[in-house]
Amino acid sequence: MKDVKKVIKDFKQVEKESITVEFFFNAAKERFKLTKLTEGDKGLDGIIRDKHIHRPGLALAGYTELFTFDRVQILGNTEVRYLRQLSPELRTRALKKFFSFRMPCICITFNNKPTEEFMSMANKKGVPVFITPLETTRFAYFINDFLDDQLSPQIAIHGSFVDVYGVGILFYGRSGIGKSEIALDLVERGHRLVADDVVMISRKGDGILMGTGTELVKHFMEIRGLGIIDVKSVFGIRAIRFQKRAELLVNLEEWDPKKEYTRTGLDSETIDILGVEIPFIRLPIFPGKNITVISEIIALNYLCKHYGYDAAKILSEKLEQAIRRKAKDKDGKLEFERAVEYLEHDFE
Amino acid sequence: MIEKTVTIVNKAGMHTRPASILVKIASKYKSDFYIIKNGFQINGKSIIGVMSLAAEQGSEVTLKFEGPDESKACAEIVKFFEEGFGEI
Repeated sequence: MKDVKKVIKDFKQVEKESITVEFFFNAAKERFKLTKLTEGDKGLDGIIRDKHIHRPGLALAGYTELFTFDRVQILGNTEVRYLRQLSPELRTRALKKFFSFRMPCICITFNNKPTEEFMSMANKKGVPVFITPLETTRFAYFINDFLDDQLSPQIAIHGSFVDVYGVGILFYGRSGIGKSEIALDLVERGHRLVADDVVMISRKGDGILMGTGTELVKHFMEIRGLGIIDVKSVFGIRAIRFQKRAELLVNLEEWDPKKEYTRTGLDSETIDILGVEIPFIRLPIFPGKNITVISEIIALNYLCKHYGYDAAKILSEKLEQAIRRKAKDKDGKLEFERAVEYLEHDFE
Repeated sequence: MIEKTVTIVNKAGMHTRPASILVKIASKYKSDFYIIKNGFQINGKSIIGVMSLAAEQGSEVTLKFEGPDESKACAEIVKFFEEGFGEI
C-alpha cells in the first residue's frame, strides 16, 4: 500500500492561473468599497495573473524599465499629487507614456478624483479605473491578501475536518473507516464541524493552510446505514464553522501488529500539504478504542506543546536526570531502592 | 518461562530512546515480558513502566519471558541489552 504522505503529495492541485478584472471588481466592490469610474464594460475582461500589486510612482515619473504593468496598479496620495503638480504638458506626456502599457486596472485610494484627461485616456485605452475611500497601505494589504487567496493552490482532501478546542484537525483514512462517525461524535461533545467528505484546503501566505467545505455541500454528512444528515440543522449553529486553519492531520489506520507506532511522541512526523509542513499522527484504531477522546487529547496536547510544554520531552529529561543522579552515587547507601521515598500517612 | 539477568552497559543508561525501542521489540512478540529491578516487576511492553526504572549504567535487571515465542523474544532482547542499546 502506498504511504499516505505520498498519496496526499500527489493530489492534483487546483490553481487558478488568473482572474478577470470583472471577477476582482465584483468580489472587491463591497469588501473594499470600490466604485468604477470608467464607462461601460470596457477592459473588464482583462486578466490579473500576479498576486502582487504595484504603485507606479516611478513609471509616472518616466522610468518604465522593470515596470510591472501587468499587476493591479494602485495610485495613492503620492502619485496623485505628483501628477497634479506637473505642468499640463509634462502631465500629458507622463500619462501618455503610462497608458501606453496594457495594465489590467487602476485603483485610486483616498477618494482622490482623477483628472478628466486621466479618465479620457483610461476610457480610450480600456483600462478600468476604480476609486476607494480607503487609505493606500490598508487597501494594498487587503488587495494583496485577496489576490493571494484567489491565486493560491487548492486541493480537495477526502476526509473530515473538525475544530477541536480551537485546533483544526483533519481526519484522513480509507473510505468507511469511520471518519464521519468520529466527526459526529466530536460534534456531540461540543466541537465544531467544518467539513465532511470533501475538504477544500488552500494555502494562505507561505505557512498557513486553511480548510473549508464546498459551497454546495457545506455541513451535510453521510452516515453509513442512515443516509444524509445536515449537521447544522440537527445540532444548530454551535456545531459548525465555515473555515478553520488546518493544524494537524490524523491518519486513521487499521491496527497492524506488524507496523510500528510511536510510543513516546518524541519522534513526531510531519506531512507536506501544498508545501506547508503540519504535524502528522498515525492513529491505529481497534475495537474498544475511543478515537473521539483521543482526538480531544491530540488537540489538547498540541496546545500544550504550542504553549511550550512537551510532556514527552519533559519526562525524558527527568529520566535522564534520574539516571545521572543514580550513576553518581554509585556506592549508594540504599541497597534497596523504592520508587517512592516515604509514604507519610494519608496526606495530600 | 525464561529468566535472564543482564547488566546495563551503555553510559547513558536506559533513557528514552532505548526504552522506546525496547517496548517496540517486545510488542512484536506474543509472550509476556517483564523487567525486574530492585524487586519490583514492571511490564516490559509499557513505555512508562520501562522509563520508571531509570536504570543507570552498571545496574542489573532481570528479564522474564513467558509465552509461545519466549525464547525468540529473549534472544533478541538480551542481545539488545548486551549491545548497550546500540550506544557503545
